[in-house]
Amino acid sequence: MNLKDPESMNVVIGKVLRYGVVLSGMIVILGTIGLILSSGTSETAPFLAYNPGTVPHDGIDVSPAGLLHGLVTFSAFSWIELGVIVLIATPVSRVLISVFLFAAERDRLYVLITAVVLAILLFSILVTPFIPGFHA
Amino acid sequence: MFVVEFVLLMFFVSIFAGIFGSIVGLGGGIVVIPVLTILLGVDIHFAIGASIVAIIGTSSGAASTYLKDKITNLRVGMFLELASASGAIMGAAIAAYTNSAALEAIFGAILLISIVPMLIKIGEDVPKSPELKGLPKRLGLKGTYTETDGRVISYNSTRPVEGLAGTLVAGILSGLLGIGGGAFKVLSMDLAMKLPMKVSTTTSNFMIGVTAAASAGIYFARGDVDPLIVAPVALGILVGAAVGARILLRSRNTTIRKAFAAVLVVAAVEMILSAAGVLP
Repeated sequence: MNLKDPESMNVVIGKVLRYGVVLSGMIVILGTIGLILSSGTSETAPFLAYNPGTVPHDGIDVSPAGLLHGLVTFSAFSWIELGVIVLIATPVSRVLISVFLFAAERDRLYVLITAVVLAILLFSILVTPFIPGFHA
Repeated sequence: MFVVEFVLLMFFVSIFAGIFGSIVGLGGGIVVIPVLTILLGVDIHFAIGASIVAIIGTSSGAASTYLKDKITNLRVGMFLELASASGAIMGAAIAAYTNSAALEAIFGAILLISIVPMLIKIGEDVPKSPELKGLPKRLGLKGTYTETDGRVISYNSTRPVEGLAGTLVAGILSGLLGIGGGAFKVLSMDLAMKLPMKVSTTTSNFMIGVTAAASAGIYFARGDVDPLIVAPVALGILVGAAVGARILLRSRNTTIRKAFAAVLVVAAVEMILSAAGVLP
């Protein structure tokens, strides 16, 4: 594939987005099937109670450790969360790949622009949740 | 209501939201949020968390189709993301220190006012393309795409600084409220930068995923992303975005402009009512 051709750039970025969406969709479908099989005929109320910092109903902490525990114990909620994380990561990967695609085109200006966007994005996703006083 | 009923209901609502959101470049949050809060009495935190997921899903789900048909302008999108991503962080910071209801009212009023220039050019098919000079020329903010009737449209852009400013507002708004980013993005590209309507909505659609992802970490860490809600929302949105993208490819610019103008009114009214405390 000739990366200098701007059309192939569209195709590559399009593929990154499509793969992310399909992967995320498949994980969420599995989680949803699990959720319906385990609690399809339960009332929704306990699942919709808002407790900041915890995953509703399961009472698992929103943390990498809590997520991992849920995944290995086949909690449907944790698998749905994993699918959502893949979905959130999809546009981020698109920006990351774009940095390399512009580099392959030797378009320095856009390598810089895209790298700055990526830096802002990573700061916002990974750092701001831990700055006290920040909320959205 | 039982879990299985809730899942099915939200799945179908989200298909509808995904179709609309992917065509007008807004992401579907304006459909998902009121259904959850008003109809189903769900906590507003969960509704906004679901809206963030809906926006990312609409964006990523429709973008690959738009990219293949070269309607989305990658360079315009990447350039404006500088402002929207920075704005998202600023919005999150502002929310901690100011009264967001007042800001929401102001933004709602701006949206309502921007319906006027929209209505003035309601019948516009493709804008008269400005001369490419200065910053837009250096940044390569131009493009070519093929219309539904086979015409090849070549366009340029103008006023990139105004475009950046409008997109910064879009970013602040999504960081602040989790919604509303798309409307300001489309307006910036349409009114300031003079891009064709389809290019504006699909490029906005391309960008909103990144803007929403920027604030997703905060919502996720707070526990605002409820798996029961976001599972059917994500799946429905992805189906709807795929359908919506195919509809847009066959629609005229004038039709999309009318749809956007209508959605603009709904978004503005929702924001003003929410600021006034009438809506959650």
